[in-house]
Order: sequence, then structure tokens, then C-alpha cells
Amino acid sequence: MFDLSSTTAKVVFGLALLFIGFFLFFPLYWLVISSLKGNAELYQIIPTPAPVMPTLEHFANAITRGKLPMYLTNSLITSGASALLVTVLALYAGYSFAKYRYFGRQPVMLFMLSAQMFPFGLLLISIYPMMSSLNLLDTQLGLILSYIVFALPVSTYMLYSYFAQVPDELIDAARADGASDLRIFHTIVIPISIPPIVTVFLYSFMWSWNDLLYSMTLIVSDSKRTIGPGLLLTYLNEVNSDWGGAMAASLMASAPIVIAFMFLQRFFIQGVTAGAVK
Amino acid sequence: MAKLELSGIRKSFGATEVLKGIDLTVEHGEFVAFVGPSGCGKSTLLRLICGLDEITAGQMAIDGELVNDVPPAKRGIAMVFQSYALYPHMSVGDNMGYALRLAGTPREEIRARVEKAAKVLRIDSYLDRKPRQLSGGQRQRVAIGRAIVREPRIFLFDEPLSNLDASLRVEMRIEIARMKDRLGTTMVYVTHDQIEAMTLADKIVVLNAGRVEQVGSPLALYNTPQNRFVAGFIGSPRMNFMRLGAPGQGGRYAVAGGSVLVPQGLAATPAEIGVRPEHLELVPLDRPHALEGVVTMTEHLGSDTYAYVTLEGSEDMLVVRLSGENAVRRNARTGVAFDPEMAHVFGADGRTLASARPVALEAA
Repeated sequence: MFDLSSTTAKVVFGLALLFIGFFLFFPLYWLVISSLKGNAELYQIIPTPAPVMPTLEHFANAITRGKLPMYLTNSLITSGASALLVTVLALYAGYSFAKYRYFGRQPVMLFMLSAQMFPFGLLLISIYPMMSSLNLLDTQLGLILSYIVFALPVSTYMLYSYFAQVPDELIDAARADGASDLRIFHTIVIPISIPPIVTVFLYSFMWSWNDLLYSMTLIVSDSKRTIGPGLLLTYLNEVNSDWGGAMAASLMASAPIVIAFMFLQRFFIQGVTAGAVK
Repeated sequence: MAKLELSGIRKSFGATEVLKGIDLTVEHGEFVAFVGPSGCGKSTLLRLICGLDEITAGQMAIDGELVNDVPPAKRGIAMVFQSYALYPHMSVGDNMGYALRLAGTPREEIRARVEKAAKVLRIDSYLDRKPRQLSGGQRQRVAIGRAIVREPRIFLFDEPLSNLDASLRVEMRIEIARMKDRLGTTMVYVTHDQIEAMTLADKIVVLNAGRVEQVGSPLALYNTPQNRFVAGFIGSPRMNFMRLGAPGQGGRYAVAGGSVLVPQGLAATPAEIGVRPEHLELVPLDRPHALEGVVTMTEHLGSDTYAYVTLEGSEDMLVVRLSGENAVRRNARTGVAFDPEMAHVFGADGRTLASARPVALEAA
């Protein structure tokens, strides 16, 4: 067998990691250093590997002159609301699939999961006329509702597999104690399911936050634009390409997700592995 | 305190019938144990009594009131689960008070009742802890405490001691016995451990394949089992069964290692006799009226010695229980004898044809 502790193995693994790591982290590295370079340095033919004269002017410009704060707020509202909606829907749907036996349970679950198999762009083709007929085009509510397609199926499945592991005896004990079904769910099951709930919330928040396509298509007015299209249209349009500004703004736009993950990663890991290892 | 009456109880899951008509009365203040092999339906029956599953057919009454459609909490029943089923996010005190809180009992009264029960079970210093901070035995006490606090009319126990190690199990068994004396509440106890059933119960119900095989006091089941199943199930090590050969003259039947005289005039043709290990003894070979065999294996437990004897012309082994330390030589030829009063005769359908009636041993 292949000896994982041998020197050759260590070298091979090290090189492989470096190779993968390069593709993962080089763009991030480039993002950070470009955002710190002055314009003169940024547009040199031969790029410098690190900023010679670091400057925060792009950050200052993005905050003071652009509409970044507005886009960020819009994104926070739409992503937050859709993540909340997805989490609540997935909680009840997942629990129902996991702990109740009724006709059509499995087909419904499969049907729901199958939504995940279509490209999101394809789904948009049918969502657009739906939103149009509901007069929800160019509204935040319309965007929030359509964001459900990103994360609801997987979120439901994640919570379903977690709830399936909640011991039936625990639920029986609460029933014997006199609790109603909803009461059991709210006072017993949800409190012991915080890690997967946080995971699902973060997961769906991230999907909506990173969205470009839906927001670009469904939102027309600049005042309702979310961060993705906002950045694209501000910094990299037909007339100008302000790379330094784009880099600084992108960095700030990804900050909320990074910070959320840093604080909640403990839950996230617990939540993801809960299904695999008891 | 309550009287529980079950009549014609049936339970099916889809096409599978798990309980096939159970008739049973549990008297006021009685401690009844359900025993039987896995899958016999004993836990299902307990769940029906608790109200966790719906009864397919039949009637259940508590103190004369039909409770088939009464939800669990309204039946005045508390159940102790095998896995304890403590709410992991609640403190011990909240776990014990949960049912009372749901019932809208005043906060002060909940606290008083929880504290009282906790004191009795010696868990009063753990009331603020979470279940995961407790040992197995302590969790078991909390689970029992949660039931006591509700002051139910009937207690149900679903194999409550099976998750504990051997020494703790004995300790908790004594605890439950004391609780039974103190509270005097009707209790139904499911177990696969017959020692628990024999020591705790006033009445044992032996279940097999969804039917009641026999109901009776522990000693009645031990002394006069109604059929081969009960005879084999109650008692440890289990009863030895010896197949009877073709009948000879005057009730004489051949068995491996010799022959026996079976009383005549029984209701059916005898097919087997059964003798418990503690009623067999090893005797010198030259003694008349004994079966002949070879000691194949011995087990020394200190207080007892089990000798496994393979009878002449048979593959089966008889277990003989000898009291104390006994130097039995392995592979030695020996005679096996038993007190005829202690033998049981079974028919081909497994029914007991005679118990405690003389079955005389013949010389080999």
C-alpha cells in the first residue's frame, strides 16, 4: 500500500496542495493587492507582485462617491429576507418529510429536490413571466421570492436528514407529557437543531448574496439593485473600467459573508457533518 | 392508582398484525411485567396503553372509562423510556417539570413537586444540570423522576434498565422495587430480563408472537407453565427438554440415555418432557433409574456449577445445575437423575399435559 507518512508522499501531497491552493487563492491575493495599488501602478504593463505604494484611495472612493452602501443595504435586505424565508419553509417541510408518514410524501420530496437539477438560468425563464403577471418585476419582494429556488431544495433535504436522526422516543416522551405536535416541534426539536438551522440560513444567504443573474434580470431601477449587478454596472461598464475601485468594492462586498462564516463556522461544520456522523 | 382493562386488543402495521387479540386485566396497584422474546409485541402493547399508537381493534379502559381515543396526557399515564428520552437542551428540573408546565400548573407548585421527587430520587443537587452532564444511572433517575412528578394513575416502564451496566441495574432494580412499595401505583413494566420480571412483578404476562401465552404470578409461571414456550422462557438457564420416543408398555417411553415412565390417562399423547437444570442431579453410573451420558462441558460460577451432559445416543446437551463449587470431571461418564415431582410433560402441540406429576426414571 501507499505509505502516507513517507517523504515522497509528503512531497507529492505538498505539491498537489500548492497547485490547488494556487488556483484557489491567487485570485483572492490579486484582488487584495490590486485594491491597494494606486492607479499608476495598477495599469503598468508588467504588474508588481505587491503594492509598492499601498493606498486606501479606492476604498475611500467606493464608500464616499459610489453607491456601494446602498447596494450593500439592498443585498442585506433581499438576502436576509430570502434566507429567513428559506429557513422557515425548510424547517417545516423537512420535519414533515422526516417524522410524518402520509400519502405522496416521497414523490413530493423528490419533486422538490428535482428543482435543484435545472440550471438556475433555465428556471429564470419561467420565473420572469410569473413575476411579471404578479406585478412583482422590479420589486424586492419579487427578488426575495425567486431566490427561494436557489436554496430551498437543498436546505429542506439538509434539515430532513438531520430531523430523521432525532430519536422518535424523544418525540414520544413529549407527546406522553402532553405536548401537541407543533409544540413538540417548537419547544423540543427546534432548540436541539440550532447547528443545522444556522447552516441552512448561511447557505441560503450566501447563494442570494452571490447572485448576479436574477438580480440583473428582475431588478431594473438602480435604487433596488443588489451588490452583484451594482458593482458590475458601476465599475466595469461600456465606458470605463475602474479595476482598483472594482477590487476594493468587491472586497467589501464579500466581507459580510466572510465575517459570518468566521463567527458561525463551528455551527456550519457541525451542521454539515451532522448527517454523516452521529 | 387505577385498574387497567384490555379486551381483544389488536394492532396492525400495514398488513402485519403485531398484536392478535390481547385480553388482560391489571388490578389496582398491581405491578405487572410483560416478558417475551424480541418482536413479541410487548413494547407495542405498552405504546398502545400509553396512547402513542392507535389501537386497531379492541377496547382499553382505565377505571372503567374507555380510553381508546383519549390522548396520552389525558390518560393519567406516565412512561419511562428505554433511552430515557430526556430533553437534551433542558435542565434536569425543566425536564421533570415539562409535563406540568404544559398542563398549566402554577410555577410554585411545579417547583415544589419537582423538588420533592428529586429529593426522593437523590438527584436534588443536579436540578440545574443538563442531561449530558449526568451519568447513566443519574439520567435513569431523572427519567423516573419525570414520571413521578406527574403523579400518574399508571406508570409504564419500557425496558428501563437495559442501558445500564450490570451492577447499576441491580441497584436500580431495588430502587424500583422500593418505589413500587412506597407509591403503590399501578405499574406496567416491559423487560426481556426475566430476573427483573421475577423479582419485581406481582404478575407476569408472557407474550409470544402477538399473543398472551400465560398470565400468572412469577412462581406460578415457574412451577406450572401452561405450555412449552412459557416453560422454556421462564427460568435461567432454561428448562431441558427431552424428546420422547415411541411409547412402550404401561406408559414407558424411550428417551436419549434411558427411558421414562409417563403417567397414563393424559389429555393427549405426550411428546416431550421438560426438567429444569436445578432439578437434575448427577448420580453414580451404577444407580438404577438414571439416564446415562457424558459430561461435555462445565461452567464454574462460584455459587453454582453448570454441567453440560450429552446423553447417550443424542446430540442435545442437558444442563445440570449443581450448587457450590463442584469438581465434575469433563468427559466423565455419569448418570443423570431427577425428582419425578419436578418434571413437566408436553404434548406435540406444546401444551402442558402434566406438571409436578410423577415421571419415573427407568434404568438405561
